[in-house]
Amino acid sequence: MTVANPQQTFPGRIMEVTLPAGEGGRSVSVGGQTALPLLPEGERPNAAAIGIEIRTGDEDLPPSLSHAFGGKGTDPAVLAGNLVEESGAQFLFLSLAGCHPDLGGHAVSRGAGIVRDVLQAVPCPAIVGGCGEEETDALLFPAVAEAAQRPVFLSYADEKNYRLVAGAALAYGHGVVAWSPIDINMAKQANLLLGDIGVPPHRVLIDPLTGGLGYGLEYTYSIVERIRLAGLSGDAALARPILCHLGDSWKAREALDSAEESWGDVIARGRRWEEATAWACLAAGADLLVCRHPDNVRTLRGMVGAPWR
Amino acid sequence: MPEPKPGTLRFLPEDVSLSVAPGETILRHAIRAGVPLLSPCGGEGRCGKCRVIISGEAAGGDDPGVLSEAELSAGVRLACRCHPSSGTLTVTVPPGSRPARLAAYLEGRDAAGDEPFLPLHAATGGRRPLGVALDLGTSTLAGALIDLSDGHLIARAAADNPQMPFGEDLISRIVYGEEHEGGFALLRQLLVAGVEQVIAALLGSGPAEGEIVEVTAAGNTVITHILFGASPAPIRHPPYQPVLREYPVRTGEELGSLAAPSAPWRLFPSLGGFVGGDIVAGVLASGMHREDGVCLLFDVGTNGEVALGNREFLMVCSSSAGPAFEGGEVACGMRAYPGAIESVRIDPETLSAEWTVIGGGKPLGICGSGILDLCAEMFRTGLIDRAGQFVPRSGAPFAETARGRAFVVAGAERSATGSAICFAAPDLKSVLRTKAALCAAADSLLTAVGLPRDAVERVYIAGGFGNFLDLRSALSLGVFPPFPLEKYVPLGNASLAGAIGAIRSRRRWREALSIAAGTTYHDLSSDAGFMEAFQRALFIPHTDEESYRKVLASRGGR
Amino acid sequence: MALTALEIYKLLPKTNCKECGFPTCLAFAMQIAAGKAGIDQCPPASDEARETLGAASAPPLPKVVVGTGERAVILGDEVVLYRHEKTFYHPTAFAISVSDALDGDAFRDRIRRIRSLSFERMGERLAVDMVAVRCDSGDPARFAAAAAAAKEGAGTPLLLSGPCDALAAALPSLGPDRPLLCPPVGEGDAGARLAAPLGLPLVVRAKGIDGLEKALAAARAAGVRDLVADPMPASLPDAVSLSVYLRRLAILHRAREVAVPTAFDLGNGFPSPFAAASLLVTKYGSLLVLDSDDPADIFPLLTLRQNIFTDPQKPIQVEAGIYPVGKATASSPVVITTNFSLTFFTVRSDIEASRVPAHLLIADCDGMSVLTAWAAGRFTGESIAKILSESGIAGAVSHRTLILPGMVARLSGKIEELSGWRVLVGPQESSALPSYLRRLPPAAFAPADA
Repeated sequence: MTVANPQQTFPGRIMEVTLPAGEGGRSVSVGGQTALPLLPEGERPNAAAIGIEIRTGDEDLPPSLSHAFGGKGTDPAVLAGNLVEESGAQFLFLSLAGCHPDLGGHAVSRGAGIVRDVLQAVPCPAIVGGCGEEETDALLFPAVAEAAQRPVFLSYADEKNYRLVAGAALAYGHGVVAWSPIDINMAKQANLLLGDIGVPPHRVLIDPLTGGLGYGLEYTYSIVERIRLAGLSGDAALARPILCHLGDSWKAREALDSAEESWGDVIARGRRWEEATAWACLAAGADLLVCRHPDNVRTLRGMVGAPWR
Repeated sequence: MPEPKPGTLRFLPEDVSLSVAPGETILRHAIRAGVPLLSPCGGEGRCGKCRVIISGEAAGGDDPGVLSEAELSAGVRLACRCHPSSGTLTVTVPPGSRPARLAAYLEGRDAAGDEPFLPLHAATGGRRPLGVALDLGTSTLAGALIDLSDGHLIARAAADNPQMPFGEDLISRIVYGEEHEGGFALLRQLLVAGVEQVIAALLGSGPAEGEIVEVTAAGNTVITHILFGASPAPIRHPPYQPVLREYPVRTGEELGSLAAPSAPWRLFPSLGGFVGGDIVAGVLASGMHREDGVCLLFDVGTNGEVALGNREFLMVCSSSAGPAFEGGEVACGMRAYPGAIESVRIDPETLSAEWTVIGGGKPLGICGSGILDLCAEMFRTGLIDRAGQFVPRSGAPFAETARGRAFVVAGAERSATGSAICFAAPDLKSVLRTKAALCAAADSLLTAVGLPRDAVERVYIAGGFGNFLDLRSALSLGVFPPFPLEKYVPLGNASLAGAIGAIRSRRRWREALSIAAGTTYHDLSSDAGFMEAFQRALFIPHTDEESYRKVLASRGGR
Repeated sequence: MALTALEIYKLLPKTNCKECGFPTCLAFAMQIAAGKAGIDQCPPASDEARETLGAASAPPLPKVVVGTGERAVILGDEVVLYRHEKTFYHPTAFAISVSDALDGDAFRDRIRRIRSLSFERMGERLAVDMVAVRCDSGDPARFAAAAAAAKEGAGTPLLLSGPCDALAAALPSLGPDRPLLCPPVGEGDAGARLAAPLGLPLVVRAKGIDGLEKALAAARAAGVRDLVADPMPASLPDAVSLSVYLRRLAILHRAREVAVPTAFDLGNGFPSPFAAASLLVTKYGSLLVLDSDDPADIFPLLTLRQNIFTDPQKPIQVEAGIYPVGKATASSPVVITTNFSLTFFTVRSDIEASRVPAHLLIADCDGMSVLTAWAAGRFTGESIAKILSESGIAGAVSHRTLILPGMVARLSGKIEELSGWRVLVGPQESSALPSYLRRLPPAAFAPADA
């Protein structure tokens, strides 16, 4: 070849973070790389990890998901066990949406109980998400931190609640997902704030807020790409694994609407809507993906493995 | 004292009465009556500073979000929202609601005024030729009197800009002018009256037996347009261009001023709608336009402009930084008048604040340097985190107020107004926005021309605030970009210094014209990187904390 | 490397003569640095400046046009590796394949399905750009007829994929439509001889970057100017790395030898075409050929393309209109703000957090925030009164009470005067909305006639 070598090297390395498993489960490590994603260059000790989300509470499932979940159980622990096993998910993302006043209004103790049950039923690494309602989450996170009998990650800490979430995590040895609203500077600031109160860097994941396909995905795409470039270029506070939660792709009308026939079958389309979001996030540099559709977990798992280490 | 007639409004303690104009607020009556009353938000019920105590019948102004129960029952109302009814009404303006006597924030350095003075006018018949140099600020009008036979500075004086009741910001004043018949004429009249007050103070302050033969005035584009008699309205409409950039020389009489009716007035040229002659004068005084090395100039005033360049190029932008460093946009904020807290220390053990007050005594509020000190101290003692949120440490004097959680700087018993001086969460946000806008403006200018930060050799800080600034404390908050301390040079009121320079020397005046002609205006609202630079700088001290740490670890500076 | 504005400025006359149309030489230099102006706009420029700046501004990735007229497809002509550095200009083109072996009805049905792959999103029409006609029949005459029928039926530019004798048969009628020719690997030279005299664009197919370098050189030598490269990846990872490396060579290394737009055939049994297409939309594929005509596949891909090729430097706006938040009813509060998307999302999430259902009324202010829009005269008493009467909000609620951002409290009088609505001044900061909304008495939103 007479043209130049197109490979790139970077001075930085992304922090390696391990999500520990329960007894009999396999822990999963992400990060540790010195290169951009999906390229045969640099060091890449870990492939991207694919997880599945289970949500508590009274929410209508998108058609594509209710099709996929049919007969897999309704009890969170049973459903989680079945879906993780069937899909090969490397970790579980348990969202306690049911504690939200509008989505079930579960008592905090019930939320904590679900966490305990699910973690016993499913040995894979876990991330536990709050319900998104500030006042409830303020009570929920400490209870979850205590109820979890093994180390998990708490999702999420933001600029406002980080003292509370990180405090709960530190007290019981959990990790923290640091959330910021599609803004590279706020992503960095969140990590600095967590560092200020003593959360060790190998227990932090960046959640840059993932817009769904068609609804802001492009902002997430560029922010993830920039966070990764900054981290590899030596900005230590951004050299952390990035988690993309694909939940918003299931809020798109295009993923849900069964009336528009010219859009194709809603069951296939919904799944594709999440899958396209997933691939874009991987191309940008995501290290962990949280999917809801078990077939997407299986597809992504099968493809992001060996050749793309 | 006889009872006032029905339909009369009486102001105390001035004891000025006027008849009630139906539909007008108490604030409007106060303006007509010439009773000084604070209303930095332009009378729109935002700032809560125009508190008055009423006795009699009136409607409105009893906004529960702004006023406490106790205040309401004591008859406190917001003058801008309270309408007198047809009966009689007595309105007392308490000390906290009036602009205090203006202290001097006039000192400015002319860093480039080094040449020998060449007399332009000779003394005739024992009367000395006098020059008046003016800085027409959004909030303050400042002036200097110069003996043009030998160039020496006789006196300085200042007054509040009488347009202040029409809004602390310029846009409010434009809107007023646009929406009211004769609005701009009224604003001009008020401005001229203020200028005449300054000139009278200058003439009265020294043994200046003489005649004013020349005037130079540096002001922002809006104020200069109003003075010149041109409409500033086009500045706020697309394509956002001022009517004039250069102003033909006019006599005082032509401008409506009787203080120096026959003297030629030279108004500093404007660079754009939001970058005016004041920054041209500031650049002139800094001398950056003559230097080989690249310089930055921060003019920290009500708006906040930033200039970058050297003898090869000059570029400016308006940072739209708020007036927080002048005490604006902060509930307990005030300008650097007697009664203002000017410096603050927080005891790391007890977490309570100690302060010094300009002129001594109990404080009325906090001025810019005090506000910066307060924030830096709160940060140092862990009472605010790097994201600019209060951290509720036990024992810290926090209180829940109508404006959210607030740090109590001085309890009611220690304050001159009788109510506590509190620094609330929105106040902190204002300060952070102001500092972030300044830093981001500088970063955007550097990015626009493609220069790295370390290419900058000197950083000038203009604005009265710079004279009192504790640079380390300011940099610990990230008020300015992280340049080594020794690169910073405070200039004080550089705009006035530039106006003085230009009246003392024709060559300097020509320099001012060529600065205006050759400077590139950079519009931050169309700079895609600005918002991001702004977000980076909202953090304390900055998202790029590493650079600040290095600067603060070194021992340079004053 | 690109020159900075200051470096460019130093090459300019520095006279501020304004002949370029900009107020100063520095302003002009900044425009050149941003790629928005060229040195030819500066008549007094020195020869040195022209030479230096002319070379620096040539596009690193040439442009190739396929088809003619309104539906012409532009491939390549990109200047950055990452969209945040500037923007991506020319969206990845999608071509759906059709085989000339299909018989009449099946062929027409296939073309009809391809043509119906067209979707309306965010005021934009998303559609498949091209039809790729594959010669599976081995019969040049049949191929020529199929190509003509595809052209007729779909109305898009064509990619003609087949042996050179088949391509030659199709060209007499289709040549003027500027199709993209794609001969098989062994027939590169013959393909070049077909394309060159007609000035048609040509896909050069060869294994890997080495192979492409040689094949592209041969096609250039044969006189073809508009070249597209297909590096023929064996797998999905291979496709991504080849695409990235070709683009890096063009942009970072200015390797003119291989700096051409790329084409990837993801049909004909290529593994995981949906995944490959998703990744190649984000990672520099200029043209993708797919076999699927299922809208459930194509709609997400076109949406992804719409996302990735949005200009990141444009102010981010949402559409003006009424947005119900929560289960808003006729007696729910009405909150107004501007269409800057950050403003919109912030206000909406703060309303959500209040758990008070409300109507969020969004004013078109060119994507400016509230204070900016007010200062620029785009968010005024008049404009708000107009929205109140024209947006349909009056029909959506039974009361006449508007919650105005506290920052523009001064507009309240004008709005009340012009619209007859009552104005409540909301908080200065959106973050105070939850507590504000929760404290509002329901009586504030009683029907207007009560």
